[in-house]
Amino acid sequence: QTAATEQTTAPATPATPVAPLAPALAKKAKESIPEVKLIGSNKPVDRDADKDAPTIIESESMSGRPERIANFDDHVEIQKGGMTIKADRATYRNLEDEVDASGNMSLQRYGDCYTGDSARMQMDAGLGHIENPIYKLVKNNAQGHANSIDFLSREHSVINQGTYSTCEGLSPDWYLKSDTLNLDTGLDSGVAKKATVYFKDVPILFAPSLSFPLSGARQSGLLPPTFGASSKGGIEFGLPYYYNIAPNRDLTIFPKFIARRGLQLGVEGRYLGETYSGETSVEGLLHDQQTNTDRWSIASVHKQKLLPNVDFSWDINAASDDDYPSDFSRSITKTAQRLLLREADLVYYGSIWSLGLRVSNYQVLQDLAAPITRPYDRLPQLNFHAEQRDLMGFDWAVDSSLTRFWHPSMVRGDRTVLNPQLSYPIINPGWFITPKVSLHATNYHLENPDPGQPTDLNRVLPTLSIDSGMVFERKANFFGRDLTQTLEPRLFYVRTPYKDQSLFPNFDSATADFNFAQIFSENRFTGSDRIGDSNQITAALISRFIEASGEERLRLAVGQRFYFNTQRVTLPDAAASQSRSDLLLSADGKISKTLSADAALQLSQTDRQSVRANYGLRWQPETGKVLNAEYRFQRDTLEQLDISAQWPLAKRWYGVARSNYSILDKRLVEGVAGFEYRQDCWAFRVIIQRFATATLQSTSAFSFQLELNGLGKFGLGSNPIDVLKKNISGYQSAD
Amino acid sequence: CGFAMRGAVSFPFKSIYVGFGDSSPLGGELKRNIRANGQTVITSSANDAEVILDVLTENREKVILSLNSQGRVREYNLVYTFKFRVRDKTGKEFLEPTEIVLKRNITFNESQVLAKEAEEAVLYRDMQTDLVQQILRRLAVLNMS
Repeated sequence: QTAATEQTTAPATPATPVAPLAPALAKKAKESIPEVKLIGSNKPVDRDADKDAPTIIESESMSGRPERIANFDDHVEIQKGGMTIKADRATYRNLEDEVDASGNMSLQRYGDCYTGDSARMQMDAGLGHIENPIYKLVKNNAQGHANSIDFLSREHSVINQGTYSTCEGLSPDWYLKSDTLNLDTGLDSGVAKKATVYFKDVPILFAPSLSFPLSGARQSGLLPPTFGASSKGGIEFGLPYYYNIAPNRDLTIFPKFIARRGLQLGVEGRYLGETYSGETSVEGLLHDQQTNTDRWSIASVHKQKLLPNVDFSWDINAASDDDYPSDFSRSITKTAQRLLLREADLVYYGSIWSLGLRVSNYQVLQDLAAPITRPYDRLPQLNFHAEQRDLMGFDWAVDSSLTRFWHPSMVRGDRTVLNPQLSYPIINPGWFITPKVSLHATNYHLENPDPGQPTDLNRVLPTLSIDSGMVFERKANFFGRDLTQTLEPRLFYVRTPYKDQSLFPNFDSATADFNFAQIFSENRFTGSDRIGDSNQITAALISRFIEASGEERLRLAVGQRFYFNTQRVTLPDAAASQSRSDLLLSADGKISKTLSADAALQLSQTDRQSVRANYGLRWQPETGKVLNAEYRFQRDTLEQLDISAQWPLAKRWYGVARSNYSILDKRLVEGVAGFEYRQDCWAFRVIIQRFATATLQSTSAFSFQLELNGLGKFGLGSNPIDVLKKNISGYQSAD
Repeated sequence: CGFAMRGAVSFPFKSIYVGFGDSSPLGGELKRNIRANGQTVITSSANDAEVILDVLTENREKVILSLNSQGRVREYNLVYTFKFRVRDKTGKEFLEPTEIVLKRNITFNESQVLAKEAEEAVLYRDMQTDLVQQILRRLAVLNMS
């Protein structure tokens, strides 16, 4: 992707004109020699009209028979259509429309420039042959020299025993040397046979065949090989092949030899159609020499519109064993995932309703030192949702679900939920009141109830809520700018009666995070297994600073919930209820054009301690310069200091770094340091990474990448650019 | 201290076409809020509208925010990116492509994955409401000249 961007942003250098004749000389030549017009009329020069274009020859002297063979000497210039040949001497054969030129020969051919010892060109078809040329191509801004070049057709040429580079100048930083190099502008491809890539005159790669796209577009062929070494696999060598099946389908095959493990084979296919799209990757290793087992993983997503109002999708992930991602993946996004989802979804929707059928299950990649409770499978879940707004002022909605929860060891059963809601919103520009009533009806039929637990359980609970708020505004001045400041008080009352739910199973419920979205919801639990008893009021005050453009510049918020009753419904192992809820404070926005900050704090009113906190600061003085600092805290779970930056270090040098340090465990959770050096025609990137993969386990990864513009990226490990983007919020590629 | 209750906001256009798919919840909520204003017509065809809201990007992304010392995710950042512009049918732009990015943090624990799924939906709905308000504010101050 970077390569493509570079090519589009780098302005295409126009073809350097071949050393022009002194204007006076040219004028003289025109006066002394009559124009030789052989065929056709004076049409404008056009690549497609070359056949009919006249051949114009100018020179200091001429001999021979113009109608058969003519010899020209001194400052010869032959032009036809998009081709111009200049040379000391030339012979023109009228019948074949063919030129032999030698001595300071230069050729301009459809914008490309060649200079060489001699050339034989068929002017009509643009075919020919040049000896000892130096060339410069408009497309891809490439240049080099060769023993000879054959022009096989207007679009296809072969560079024999030549070099190829996208660097400017006589001593390019990198070049490709090959036996033959087939350039086809029609197919947009370059194919080099017996190719060696030199970087700073040191050979870095030999390939029997190497192909690359001329314009950076996708194209079938071998991709640059990857080399590497890792602590878990030893030396690695990969040779990916890209197969561009069709504009909307492709396939990448990546065989990889891992010294200590064996030969791994990966295949990734992507497709996109009018009504469907998807991506599947499979990789595997038969008989891992370390574990003596077969190792593999699959990831597949697919979406399809089966009918105008029926959608189907799947998301399937699987791995051969618990350690597969940590043994083979160099990306923390993969190693951090210990639950692999397998899900299929069918949705049928109408104008105001939708009906969904889903099956889902998770594969758990266990870390024996910190085991994970396996989530329930939903085999299947049927969801129904319908809603209508503003029906004589009323909004109504119905949510219903029917789920069969399955678990190998815990209590299994079917759960039916019906949740109708009716509200009457009264909305005015300056204030609103929304009274709402809802009903939660739930039925359980348990397959293997615990001793003392009934097989069938029922619960019907009504909920009443009143949401209300006001909006005040004033003109304010903030750091010298005229802004609108709002003040938005909001009150939210909820009443739900208590019902003992201690015998109910917990299939999909948990206490929700306490945040500004949650304090205005009726139930303090997510999922449908617990309906919290409540008689409570939530008060919040939000103040926004809004620019004249309508952009929100800064937001300050404070909120708290007050309980009139003691909360009695709990989840198993849940903390005791509190008489007063936690206090929420948050502030986020842009302090100036370059500095933005956010802070969020959840304070427990019971023990006057913070429960959760986030403080972040970002300074982005200009493109390519970013500094982030963030402190994150979750009581008893997490305390981290996360600092990341992207900064130019010197001319052409860019540095990136991230340190995510756990203060709680006194351990580096993730550390990244990288450097990027950019030249006009290449870039070099080094990334050193270290991240935790399991209890007391870390993976260190080293990756580098040498990107030769117009040829490809050579490197090992995960794509450093992806690593940077993921790690440094606000990261921008330097160009 | 200078605060006054917000008065009626009128849009500087008579009719608008909102370029969302029929099943888009964001589009539904935005249309409802424009309609609540009472003075602006939402047309069903782009050709009949004085202004056209083009949706350029609507993207939801879930990014790992923090990992515990075992390398497991403990917080995700939900990022809702919306990019739009406002033009008329001749292509004249009243609002250049504008991006609004909203983020919410959510704690994560493997044993609560099903509950977290529902909680994510709540946070996205909250962001959607927030987003609608931010879009309305931009629409209210469109420069129509």
